[in-house]
Amino acid sequence: MSGETAREAVGDYRYGFHDPENATIRFDKGLSEQVVRDISELKNEPEWMTEIRVKAYNRFMEMPMPKWGNCNMLDQIDFDSITYFLRSSKGTENDWDDVPDDIKNTFNRLGIPEAEQKWLGGVTAQYESEAVYHSIRDDLEEQGVIFLDMDSGLREYPEIVKKYFCSVVPASDNKFSALNTAVWSGGSFLYIPKGVHVEMPVQAYFRINAKNMGQFERTMIIADEGSSIHYVEGCTAPTYSTESLHSAVVELIAMDGAKIRYSTVQNWSANVYNLVTKRGVAHANATIEWVDGNIGSKLTMKYPSVLLKGEGAHAEVISVAYAGKGQHQDAGAKVHHLAPNTTSNILSKSISKNGGRSSYRGMLQVTPKASGCRSKIVCDALMLDADSQSDTYPTMEVGNASADLEHEASVSKVSNDQLFYLMSRGHSEVEAMGLIVNGFFEPFTRELPMEYAVELNRLLELEMEGAIG
Amino acid sequence: MMLYPEIPIPPRSEHLWRYTPWKRIHPTNVAEMPQSDAIKMALGTDSEMEGSNEIGRSFIHSISNICKEIILTDESKELDLRCSGHICSGELKIKSSGNSSLIIRISGDSGWTGIRVLGDVSGQLSVALINDLSADCHLLRCEDWIVNRDSSLELSTLSTGGFLVKSDIRIKLDQNGAEVKGGIASNGHGSRHDDHHVEIDHKVGHTQSSLVMHAACNDSSHSVGTGLLSIRDGADKSNAGQVFRNLLLSEKARAEAIPELEVLADDVKAAHGAASAPIDSNQLHYLQSRGLSGDEASSLIVEGFLMDAFRDIKNQDVIASLRTRLLVHLECLING
Repeated sequence: MSGETAREAVGDYRYGFHDPENATIRFDKGLSEQVVRDISELKNEPEWMTEIRVKAYNRFMEMPMPKWGNCNMLDQIDFDSITYFLRSSKGTENDWDDVPDDIKNTFNRLGIPEAEQKWLGGVTAQYESEAVYHSIRDDLEEQGVIFLDMDSGLREYPEIVKKYFCSVVPASDNKFSALNTAVWSGGSFLYIPKGVHVEMPVQAYFRINAKNMGQFERTMIIADEGSSIHYVEGCTAPTYSTESLHSAVVELIAMDGAKIRYSTVQNWSANVYNLVTKRGVAHANATIEWVDGNIGSKLTMKYPSVLLKGEGAHAEVISVAYAGKGQHQDAGAKVHHLAPNTTSNILSKSISKNGGRSSYRGMLQVTPKASGCRSKIVCDALMLDADSQSDTYPTMEVGNASADLEHEASVSKVSNDQLFYLMSRGHSEVEAMGLIVNGFFEPFTRELPMEYAVELNRLLELEMEGAIG
Repeated sequence: MMLYPEIPIPPRSEHLWRYTPWKRIHPTNVAEMPQSDAIKMALGTDSEMEGSNEIGRSFIHSISNICKEIILTDESKELDLRCSGHICSGELKIKSSGNSSLIIRISGDSGWTGIRVLGDVSGQLSVALINDLSADCHLLRCEDWIVNRDSSLELSTLSTGGFLVKSDIRIKLDQNGAEVKGGIASNGHGSRHDDHHVEIDHKVGHTQSSLVMHAACNDSSHSVGTGLLSIRDGADKSNAGQVFRNLLLSEKARAEAIPELEVLADDVKAAHGAASAPIDSNQLHYLQSRGLSGDEASSLIVEGFLMDAFRDIKNQDVIASLRTRLLVHLECLING
C-alpha cells in the first residue's frame, strides 16, 4: 500500500509514524502452548501463573469467535500472523535518559515526559509488549502507593496479584479475555492504601510500533478502603496496511468507600483491532467511574462494566465514540446491581461519519436481592452523513420490583438551525460543524484532565476536516 | 423455502430467542411436528399461506390445517378464535382497504396454540388482538404486516391470558407515507411468562412508526419486551420511536427490555426508551385515602398504566373493547 493509499484509508492520523524495530527479543508469529510457556519462562514467573496462562490458552482455543457484533471484521483476524511478544528494551527504566533513544523520541513526540513533569502523579510507558519507563512521585511512594508495571507487580507482590488476578475478569469470560490471560505482558499494577487520596492522576501510555503486533497488557487497580485514584490511559499506533491486535484486560477493585476513576482516550490507528475487557467491582459505598473515549481503531469492542457488589455502591460510565471511514466503534457499558441501594449513571455519545458505524451495546441488570436501586442511561448519536450507521442495543434485566430504571436513546443529524445560527455569526460550515461536535462531546471532555481534553478537541477538529461536502 | 425440520434451531444469542428459546415454546420435542387441531374461526374464507424460513412461522405452517382470509373494505369486524385440544393452530390472512377495524379475541383451553397472521394494509386499519386464553395455555403468535403507500396500521395487543406466551411481530413499511402505531399491554400474574418481540422496518423514507409497550408484572411473572427498529439506507425523513415501560408489583416479578435501534440514514428522527419502576406509593396513598382498598387502588393504577399503552390508537371502538376486556380481567384477579 502506498503512503497516499494508506493515508486515504486511515485519514489524517497524526500518530501514524513509526520507528525502526530494534527488538531485543521477538517471538515468531503465531500462537501455541509453547509460546505461552515461553513468555512465562522469559518473565521468570511463578508456577501458578504459568498454569493460569496454559489453562487460559486451552480455553481460548476451545471458545468460538463471538457470534454477535461485527462478525465480518472479527472473522478477518488472523491469529497466526500476529507477534505475541516483542521486547524492545532491556528493562523498565526509572529515568528517561536510560530509555533507548528511538523509544524515547517516540514518547517525546507524544508529549509524555512533559506531561509527567507538569501534572501527573506517576507514569508508565509501554512500548510493544513491556513497559520501558516507569516512575512515581516520591510523596505518593511515601504514602504507600504502589504503582508498577504489571510484570514488576507480579515479581514484587505475588500474593496480592495471586489474590486478585482473574477475580474480576475470569479467563473464560470471553475469547479475548482468555487470549489476554494466556499471553498477557505489561500493563499497570496499582495499589492505593487505606484512606490515601491520590490527587494527581497517574497515567499509562501504550504504544504499538511493530507491524502485526499483538499488545496484551493486563491492568489491576486495587483501591483500599476510603482511598481514591484517577488513572488515565492513552494509546496510539503507527499506520500500517496490515492489522494489529490490542486485547487488554483491566480489573478494578474498589474496597468500601473507595473511588476509582479510569479515563481512556483510545486513539489507535485504523489498522488496530481493539478488543478489550474492562470490569470493576465496587464494594459498599465505593464508586467506580469509567470515562471512555474511542476515537481510533478499526474495530473496537469494549463495554466497561461495574459489578455493584456492596450496598450503596455507585457506577458512572461516560462513553464517547467517533466512527470514521472503515471504523466500527462497538462500545457501551454494563452495570450489574447486585446489592441494595446501588446507583448507576451511563451516558453514551457517538458520532458516525464517512460510512463509519457506531454502536452502543449495554446491559443493566438488577438482581432480586438488589432492592432500592436507581439507574439512568442516556444514549445520543449524531449521524453526519447518509453513508454512516448508528445502532443501539441496550438490555435491561430487572429482577427486583423496587428498582427505578430509565433508558433513553436518540439518533439524529446535526440540526440545520444550529448550523445556520453559527454560520450567521461568521463561522464557516466546517467550523460550525466542529463546534457542534465538540459541544456534543462536552460531557466527556469536561471529565478529562485539561491536557487530555484539549488534545481530544484537537483530534476531533482534525477528524472533522472534510466532514462537509 | 425450507421445511420446518430443515431449519436450524436458533441460538439463544439471537435476542429474539434469548428469554424464550425455541425449545421452550415448542409444544413437544423440537424435532417433532405433532398433530394439530384447527383453531375455530367464525369468519373468513378458505385460503392458502406460503411457507417461511423463520422457524416459528414454518412450524405453524407445517402443522396447521386451516387458513382463512379476511378482506376488510371500509368495515369493522370482530373475530373469535376458539382454541381447544392438546395442540391447536391456524393461519390467517388479512387484507384491508378504506377505513377498517378488526378485533380478534383468542380464547379457549388448548394446551398449546400456534397462530400465524399475514396482513396487507391499504388505507387505515386498526387491529386489536386480545389474548384471553385460559391460565395454563401456551401461545406462539407470529405476525407479518406490510403497510402500503400512505396507509396506516394501528396494532394493539392486550395480553392477559396463557401461561407461556411468545409473540413475534414484524412490520414492514415498504412505501412512502406508510405509518404504524403499536400498543402492547401485558399483565403478568402467577408464573406467567409473556415475551413480545416487535420488529419495525423502515424500508423507505417518509415513514413513521411508534411502539409503546407497557407491562405490569405481579407475583412471580416474567415480562420480556424486545424490539428492533431498523431505518434502512436512504429512508430519510423517517420518524421512529419505541418505549418499553415495566411496572413491577411484587418482589419476585421480573421484566426484561431490549429496545434495539439500527439507523443507516441520517435525516431521520429515531428514539427509544425503556423504564422500570415500582408502583408509586403516593398514587396508592391518594387512592386509599379516597376509600379504595389496597388491591382496588393497585388495580386502578394498573388499569391506567396498561391503557396508556394505547394512547396513540385513534379508533375508539377498539379502545372500548380493550378497556372492557382489561376491566373484566382485573376484576377477576381481585375477586378470584
